[in-house]
Amino acid sequence: MAEEYYPWGGEFTACSPTSCVAVVLLNIRYTPSDEVAIYGPLKTENIGIEKIVANTISNPHIRFLVVCGEDIRGHRSGMSLLALHKNGIDANHKIIEAPGAIPYIENLSDEAIARFRSQLEIINLLGETEEQHINTVITESLKKEPPSFGEPYIAIRIKPEVMVSLTDKRALHSKIVIGYMGKVQKRGA
Amino acid sequence: MFSFTHEQKVIEISGVHIGGQPGLHPTVLFGGIFFKGDPDFQDAKLHLQTLVQLSKDTGVPVIPDFFIRKESFVEPIIEFIEKTLPHHHPFSVDIIDPSIKIKTLEYLHEKRLLSRTIYNSLHIGSTQQEIEVLTSHPPEAAIIVAFNPKDASPDGKLEVLENGAHLTEKGLLALAQDIGIPNLLIDTAALAPGENSGAAIAAIPVVKEEYGLPTGCAIHNVVEKSLWLNEYPLVKKTVDVASNMTVPLFGGDYVLFGPLANIDYVVPLIAWQDILISEYAENYFGVVPSPSHPRRKLQR
Repeated sequence: MAEEYYPWGGEFTACSPTSCVAVVLLNIRYTPSDEVAIYGPLKTENIGIEKIVANTISNPHIRFLVVCGEDIRGHRSGMSLLALHKNGIDANHKIIEAPGAIPYIENLSDEAIARFRSQLEIINLLGETEEQHINTVITESLKKEPPSFGEPYIAIRIKPEVMVSLTDKRALHSKIVIGYMGKVQKRGA
Repeated sequence: MFSFTHEQKVIEISGVHIGGQPGLHPTVLFGGIFFKGDPDFQDAKLHLQTLVQLSKDTGVPVIPDFFIRKESFVEPIIEFIEKTLPHHHPFSVDIIDPSIKIKTLEYLHEKRLLSRTIYNSLHIGSTQQEIEVLTSHPPEAAIIVAFNPKDASPDGKLEVLENGAHLTEKGLLALAQDIGIPNLLIDTAALAPGENSGAAIAAIPVVKEEYGLPTGCAIHNVVEKSLWLNEYPLVKKTVDVASNMTVPLFGGDYVLFGPLANIDYVVPLIAWQDILISEYAENYFGVVPSPSHPRRKLQR
């Protein structure tokens, strides 16, 4: 089962597949113990958060998400992740009350977000950079040994439908036609 | 190498021309000046001297792009620009945090520097307050980032420019026009590998044919996020420098490159690429290079 986890890839390290803790690192040089399930940095308040959601819900053993370090200026990715867990998204797919610059979740279904909000408990250590303290919180969470959430949830990445099929192999894109010597024209013009 | 059917707009910011048919004007480079800790202005001054000299020697215009990450850095960085950068030289300010953007615009206005300023950037996350301050203190030009979190393809990029992709009330182009920014540059939003990174390059000729506006991107970001390249440090630098060629090759007008330490490599590389493009563009499409083009300066 463990090899099916974390289908969205990303800049993370996978450790103990049955552990209940995942760790999100923000602007911090810190390596959690290998007793956690997965850890890695969060950078952006949109695609980065989507990957964390998709990857954590793929492993039902993960029940705690420790968010530690200093939030990223401007992006405010840590606060935006917390806001997603607390409030979800609005009709425009914007994370409700997220302070980040572009906090939109566009590639996850409502179901995947709901699963994230119920499977995971957030442990908010934003602003905390003291390793010993973070280690203590992680150890306490590990000791709780909560039950698995059930089946893995493999989130499907929502991709826009391809509307046009290309017949002209010289075209780079459906909207333009490129002549054999390099003249670009709007298709159909 | 391309030529576009749609009329191409050339913008001029403090003497630097950006845009037009490929081969007309040199590719404009934006070199990122990023201060890791407190600003080291001595170091930045040396970088600016190199930047101005290389630009003069090759004909490739290089615009310093100041990344301002803290509110307390706004005034010292702008005062540094005012004192150190030659008075005719344009510059850009790259800021993420909306409150720092607002403070920067106000201070640039106070210092009467907005006529040389390229605002980096307007995007779907721009706040109402930021838009209000932009309206009262419009910069000479702005980079419009065509980032669409829903769709990274060229279609998605066009969608945010055209109608805001239902994420904002109106499209980014209409928003920029309402604000009253006279000159717009489109950034095709280069994303990480795995996020349709190639779309930033493919979108360049699409955007130029659609709107005729100066178009480019920070393709260097894709290299930065190709973590596997860290295993090959020497190659990583080569790839980083070389990646900038893909923008003019696909008809682009400007490139945001980084880190600035690569400037000695990037500027001659782009000059070489511009000569290559200009030769074909003149021979086949009749595009005569501008007087300051590297082909005129360096062809020996």
